[in-house]
Amino acid sequence: MSLPGKRARRVLHFSILCCFVSALGGAAEISPQTFQVKIGAILASNQGNEFDARLAHLKKQLEVLKYRSYRLLKEESQKVQRKGNATFDIPGGRSLVVTPQESGTKQLALRVHLQQGGKPLIDTTVRLNSGGNFLLGGPPHEGGALVISISATAQ
Amino acid sequence: MMNRCDNVRDRMGAWLDGELSRSDFEEVRVHLESCPACREEQRQLEKLQASLKELLVAAPSNVSFEQFWPGVEQRIKRQRSWYENLLGWARDLAAPPQLAWAVPAVIVLLLMGVFSLESFWPGMRLAGQRNNFASIDSIDAFGRNIALLRENETKTTIIWLYQNQEGEDESTGEKSEASPSF
Repeated sequence: MSLPGKRARRVLHFSILCCFVSALGGAAEISPQTFQVKIGAILASNQGNEFDARLAHLKKQLEVLKYRSYRLLKEESQKVQRKGNATFDIPGGRSLVVTPQESGTKQLALRVHLQQGGKPLIDTTVRLNSGGNFLLGGPPHEGGALVISISATAQ
Repeated sequence: MMNRCDNVRDRMGAWLDGELSRSDFEEVRVHLESCPACREEQRQLEKLQASLKELLVAAPSNVSFEQFWPGVEQRIKRQRSWYENLLGWARDLAAPPQLAWAVPAVIVLLLMGVFSLESFWPGMRLAGQRNNFASIDSIDAFGRNIALLRENETKTTIIWLYQNQEGEDESTGEKSEASPSF
């Protein structure tokens, strides 16, 4: 075989080896052991025009709801171990249980259970990007509606 | 059916070139000793081979190298122009053979770097790749009405839980304002 041919074959072999090593690296992505779950309980109402400055990062998302006033009632963050769950007390005698389900470092699934006085209001499983959030709203509270922002980050 | 002479003549070329096995070679040789017609065939073939060899050996000697060598000598002696030197230098720099392995290695390292960024800082994404949309795997509102909204501009997913039809929450008796018009 000619010299350039040998070199090309050597490069090809090296490339295949590199691809194999990369694929192994990708496959070895470890499932995260802990999750940072963060919730924000927000009172959305049409009384007044207040927009809580602490909700600036959620302003665009909350504006979709078309309420005139938004006030942060509670913000809490909990670290949850794999297969564990986090329980948050939500204003109005409600409680929110967040249980991380199967997950990778990029995307995770959360089981969210909201209850009030022992009665379940909603039970849902949501898949979202690590660090992403979604809004759960509707329960009436103090003449407005309660909106809960739920986010989780795999660690 | 092939007779013995045809069989031997078919293998004559290989026999002359010494390409037959020992037993085949002997078989052909014994036949040639006893068969004048095949011997004549052998002589003709040997003559043809000799003529061809002479022709091939004579051909290169007829080629005139008188004009060829001065051309080679001139090219060896000729100084390369600065442009050619620069071009050669750039070519060597861009693709040194000993660094051929570096191209795939750099690609792999870059890919690994991109993946590693997310391992070190979960949630970190390259610009433009972030997609905050959440997808709902399952949902149970225990008989209540719900609305699902996915808003494109902010990539927001909203689950809205409506209270019961009387407009009154069954647990607290609280009345809420009109539902949002999304």
